[in-house]
Amino acid sequence: MKRSLYAMALTALLSSPIIAQDAAKAEPAVTKPSGPAMSTVVEGLDNPAGIAIQPETGIVFVSDSGAARIVKIVDGKAEPVVVEFKIDIYGKGPKYNIGPLGLLFLDKNTLAVGGGDLPDGEELLYVFDLTDMKEPLKASAPKAKFSLAAEGDIKGEGNFYALAAADGAIFATSNGDDTKGWVARANYEGNTVKSFERYLATKEAVEVDAPVAITTSPKGELVIGQMGEINVASDSLLTFYDPKTKQKLLNLKTELHDITGLAYSPRGQLYATDFAWMDTTQGGLFQLLKDSAKGMKTKKIASLDKPTAMAFGPDGTLYVTVIGPEAKEGEAKKGAVIKIDPGL
Amino acid sequence: MISLFSMNVRSYSSTHFVSWAIGSMVCIGTVSIASKGLAWVPPDKQPAGLPEVKEPADNPSTAAKISLGKQLFFDKRLSVDNTVSCASCHDPKKGWSNNDATAVGIEGKRGGRSSPTVINSAYSKFQFWDGRAGSLEEQALGPIANPIEMNLPLDQLIEKLKGIEGYRQQFKTVYGTDITTDGVAKSIAAFERTVLSGDAAYDRFKGGDTSALSEKGVKGMKLFFGKANCSSCHAGANFTDNAFHNIGVGMDKPEPDVGRKAISKLLGDTGAFKTPTLRDIAKTAPYMHDGSAATLTDVLNYYNKGGHPNPFLDEEIFTLRLNAEEIESLVEFLSVGLSSSKYPDAEAPELPK
Repeated sequence: MKRSLYAMALTALLSSPIIAQDAAKAEPAVTKPSGPAMSTVVEGLDNPAGIAIQPETGIVFVSDSGAARIVKIVDGKAEPVVVEFKIDIYGKGPKYNIGPLGLLFLDKNTLAVGGGDLPDGEELLYVFDLTDMKEPLKASAPKAKFSLAAEGDIKGEGNFYALAAADGAIFATSNGDDTKGWVARANYEGNTVKSFERYLATKEAVEVDAPVAITTSPKGELVIGQMGEINVASDSLLTFYDPKTKQKLLNLKTELHDITGLAYSPRGQLYATDFAWMDTTQGGLFQLLKDSAKGMKTKKIASLDKPTAMAFGPDGTLYVTVIGPEAKEGEAKKGAVIKIDPGL
Repeated sequence: MISLFSMNVRSYSSTHFVSWAIGSMVCIGTVSIASKGLAWVPPDKQPAGLPEVKEPADNPSTAAKISLGKQLFFDKRLSVDNTVSCASCHDPKKGWSNNDATAVGIEGKRGGRSSPTVINSAYSKFQFWDGRAGSLEEQALGPIANPIEMNLPLDQLIEKLKGIEGYRQQFKTVYGTDITTDGVAKSIAAFERTVLSGDAAYDRFKGGDTSALSEKGVKGMKLFFGKANCSSCHAGANFTDNAFHNIGVGMDKPEPDVGRKAISKLLGDTGAFKTPTLRDIAKTAPYMHDGSAATLTDVLNYYNKGGHPNPFLDEEIFTLRLNAEEIESLVEFLSVGLSSSKYPDAEAPELPK
């Protein structure tokens, strides 16, 4: 298996940190899953919106999106890796500052980053070389960068929410032309990205907006979480595609509100994070399960406050980024990375 | 527990996830979802291009129930002064709307919003422009009790209907009960679920009949799904995403209608209204939630300029740079291409005494 399949990152939208409080109970702030233990790895992040695990080291990298930087988590602290992204605003109320979004390692030192910091059409897929890094890299000096500019009547693309690797290419969900709902593809050889193109018109395939979450199944299919409309409940879809042929293999109603992250555990179980924009107390981590009557069902593993992305470590530890509650004036931002111990 | 989505990595190479999954799961697009209960219009009798109508589990349709619902729908006695029926604002002869800028209730009272068409409301996740009702059953009683529409409090409605022998008998037959508000709502909803518009030239074109649309219609269709950006919201078989968008209409008024925000309480929903179906759109003028656009050309000119700027304007509303010929083509597609081959007309039934 290519190393590139090892790490994935997703992303999403975006508000205020950590584990959601159960609506029926004011305490505790962290709702533990019934299975493995859960704990906070790092706090004080500003709208974290993407996560990936570095191959070989197992270090967690996070898009600290609202802070316009990418950080790595070392000894419970966030150390800057790439800084000085620009900031864009997502949403109309609530609004979220966003910078870098999806993360994906092509190998130990090659990090692909989906941008969310620039206007549609100017938005970039960045590639950074982390080899022998002495100080944080600057967003303005990537090893390579690509965009999907407007072409004639075709809108430019932006907000590359999440990245996944399949069939020797990077796939990036995006938000630009809502008549198409593009998933873009970047071909690469070794650790060199060669091209970037509009590839999969998910809106035409499923007639629902907003491809956001993306991962690769153990068999190599692209698995995409179609978020749907943020002001409509329970409209997220889960869709499987053949990355070679673009063929839609399976399309499922999930009854989740706004899927932001997808990932397979090392045991091959599929999980999703749900932002639940309309009522964030309903958000969290869900396992997607077979149901003989309805086809599929979800099992809530943990309540999380505005989860945006997740990635499994090689030992089965799950790391989830959450935006958490809104910080009051003068308070530190409450975005965090939550760790769920192996066992999922 | 073994998940449907589980994949034992160790035995991965011997599994065939996709083929197995397709054969055993409910899915959409690839395999149709089994329905709950019988739809009034059987799937094989529904107009082409439409998905199967799904009914609430507690309100399966029957011919008798639909007939009762139709009578109630057309009966002006459901208003306080016997002057307004559901059909007054949802007239089959006027696109199941009223060809007026706003709804008109008793004594000529007007609301601030237009009458949404009943056409294909069977597929709507939300009813009313602000989506405050989640089903046709929830919606049906609202206008009856609304002081500026039919103004008949529901307790009075039931007493009034109980004075009509024909309704008493039908409720006994259909529900086995006396007349109830629940039964009124379910009957009207069941009738409304039969108002279906499909099998338009667009559906036939999509089905392979390349002659179904005129050259201008094809051009309009391509614009609709491309440059004109219409399908970013008017998507799917019913040409709606069932969501809410601020397209700027009315946002230039001193006190704009806040629309969906009144229900969701989300600031971002300010001035957002439900995306309407475009099926048989030619019959439902005037357009927009406030009836402010008299013609489809007016609608397209409005979108072409990028709507009224406001802090909550949807990101999908922007200057389109459509020329006059392109707008004509879009009007052709909307008015001809989306008109059903068999319009779901209805005549007022004989009402019980």
